[in-house]
Amino acid sequence: MTKFIVRRVFWTIPVILVVILLTFGLMRQIKGNPFRTSERAIPAEIQRNLDRKFGLDKPWYEQYARYVKNVATFDLGPSLVLRNRDVNDIVKEHFPRSLELGGLAFLFALVFGIPLGAVSALKANSWLDYAAMFFSNVGFAIPSFLVATLFIYFFVLQFDFGFPTSGWTGWESKVLPVVALGLAPMAAFARLVRGTMLETLQQDYIRTARAKGLRWRRVISLHVLRNSLIPVVTAAGPTLGFLITGSFVIEQIFAIPGVGRYYVTAVQARDYSVVMGLTVLLAVIVIVANLVVDILYGILDPRTRDVRT
Amino acid sequence: MVVDPTQATRRPVDTAAAPAHETAGAPIAQSNLWKDAWRRYLRNRAAVLAGSVFVLLVLYCAIWPFVSPYDPNEVDFALKNQGPNLEHPFGTDNFGRDLFTRTALGGRVSMGIGFGATLVILLIGVAYGSISGFVGGKLDNGMMRFLDTLYGLPYLPFAIIVTAIFGNVTFWTMVVALSIASWFTSARIVRGQVITLKENDYVRAAKAVGARWFRVLARHLLPNTLGVLIIAIFLELPGVILGEAILSFIGLGISPPDASWGQMAQEGRLVYRVAPHIIAVPSIAIATLILCANFIADGLRDALDPRTRET
Repeated sequence: MTKFIVRRVFWTIPVILVVILLTFGLMRQIKGNPFRTSERAIPAEIQRNLDRKFGLDKPWYEQYARYVKNVATFDLGPSLVLRNRDVNDIVKEHFPRSLELGGLAFLFALVFGIPLGAVSALKANSWLDYAAMFFSNVGFAIPSFLVATLFIYFFVLQFDFGFPTSGWTGWESKVLPVVALGLAPMAAFARLVRGTMLETLQQDYIRTARAKGLRWRRVISLHVLRNSLIPVVTAAGPTLGFLITGSFVIEQIFAIPGVGRYYVTAVQARDYSVVMGLTVLLAVIVIVANLVVDILYGILDPRTRDVRT
Repeated sequence: MVVDPTQATRRPVDTAAAPAHETAGAPIAQSNLWKDAWRRYLRNRAAVLAGSVFVLLVLYCAIWPFVSPYDPNEVDFALKNQGPNLEHPFGTDNFGRDLFTRTALGGRVSMGIGFGATLVILLIGVAYGSISGFVGGKLDNGMMRFLDTLYGLPYLPFAIIVTAIFGNVTFWTMVVALSIASWFTSARIVRGQVITLKENDYVRAAKAVGARWFRVLARHLLPNTLGVLIIAIFLELPGVILGEAILSFIGLGISPPDASWGQMAQEGRLVYRVAPHIIAVPSIAIATLILCANFIADGLRDALDPRTRET
């Protein structure tokens, strides 16, 4: 087991290098240079100094090596647009909010999605099942910007529940964005749990457990739920990564100053070092989330240890 | 290939009745597979309903702009922000334009980009997956490691970077942006299918009689992945449609005057306090399309691959 974990952890290093390289390669394709704006021409000498300062006069592989070295020491470089601001400062300021929003939305999705799917599976083909599945299917399909806008329209404008329409300060301001963001993953978890639970209920070991006289409740909690949660763990990794790396839409609608919102601003302002730094940050988070999931998976299902690195 | 016993006994009669095209090697059993699949699909009521709504939605977007009595771009502030009524079934927008007509036009853009990107995703997936699965060995291992590396990366940041690379966002930019970081799953599916099929006796037989690799691949392996690919279309479509909507909504969509559903939603967002139906109409259109695609994918999976059918 230790060997599996060590191997798996070491495997993330080349993964991160490749992802940084790809992001780096993509970013280099963007035309234009923040220092070469037409409105404010810069003398050639200053231009050369700027290029030297940011290493732009070097060949691409040296720039890449330099960037990787900086990332390894947790230095994402300076912002190209905002003077006296590092990408690190921007991450420090904006990321905690996205982390909290995504983390809470993830918890919401788990806490409501799993029971919803479980109840559906246990009462399969009842009206309860149909209602729950209708709700999940619709919740999964409806775009988050409609959900968020309708939340504001009904819960703030039409019937005042005391929620503000924007910001990220007290708990009141967090309820609507968290639910709006968590609704789609909740629906996805509910569908997933229902499907795998129905499958698990057909297994022979469930029949055995019943036959040896184990109470139904214990069968459910001990055998059915436990085995049905394995696919949820697999899906949970990318979902968590996806949620905490900032929601572009929800942060925009509720005016939450998180990384998702800042990302769009940075792209529009051509602040490439910020875009690059945030993309690498998002990728690393997803990679780490996948790592945790793989290790959890290895613990839950020993058969997978050898197959996966 | 499974030989249907009823077919085998009826065969001489059929030949007498005679279509001349039933020569040796004609894909008889294959047409049966599709007929069977069609029959199984028709038994799934949710999938049939979803399929019908889907076809209606496509027809509405394709035909209505020609038939509509309203000019989709005619501005009339006297009519602005009307809720749904008899003359304007979906109401009018902030400029007094008929939303029923504009939704059809927006659907053309959204679905065009959606199907375009799905097609690109599948093409890359087929190329990457079939090479990896067919060649096997070290190359397969390396190619799959590379996919593992990219697995689970959020596609939106990369889509946003691509729109920044091209600067001016057009139909094709959008297609590239949405497919660049979304083809990993389809490559995996194709590779898995090719690897399973490769072990079949008819592939070995083909190799044994001296068929060259591209013939084995083109004639025996790829046609048999068609089923999974058709399912994959409807599995990929929702993500792509939603991705386009999100990009348009945050202001990185294709440039005006074309409007997609996402852009219509963004326009509606600005006036949601007075006219919430303007954001609701295109969003519900997106939701309907995604819902249909999900049910169609479920139905197709049951129909085309009976082994995985849920109880």
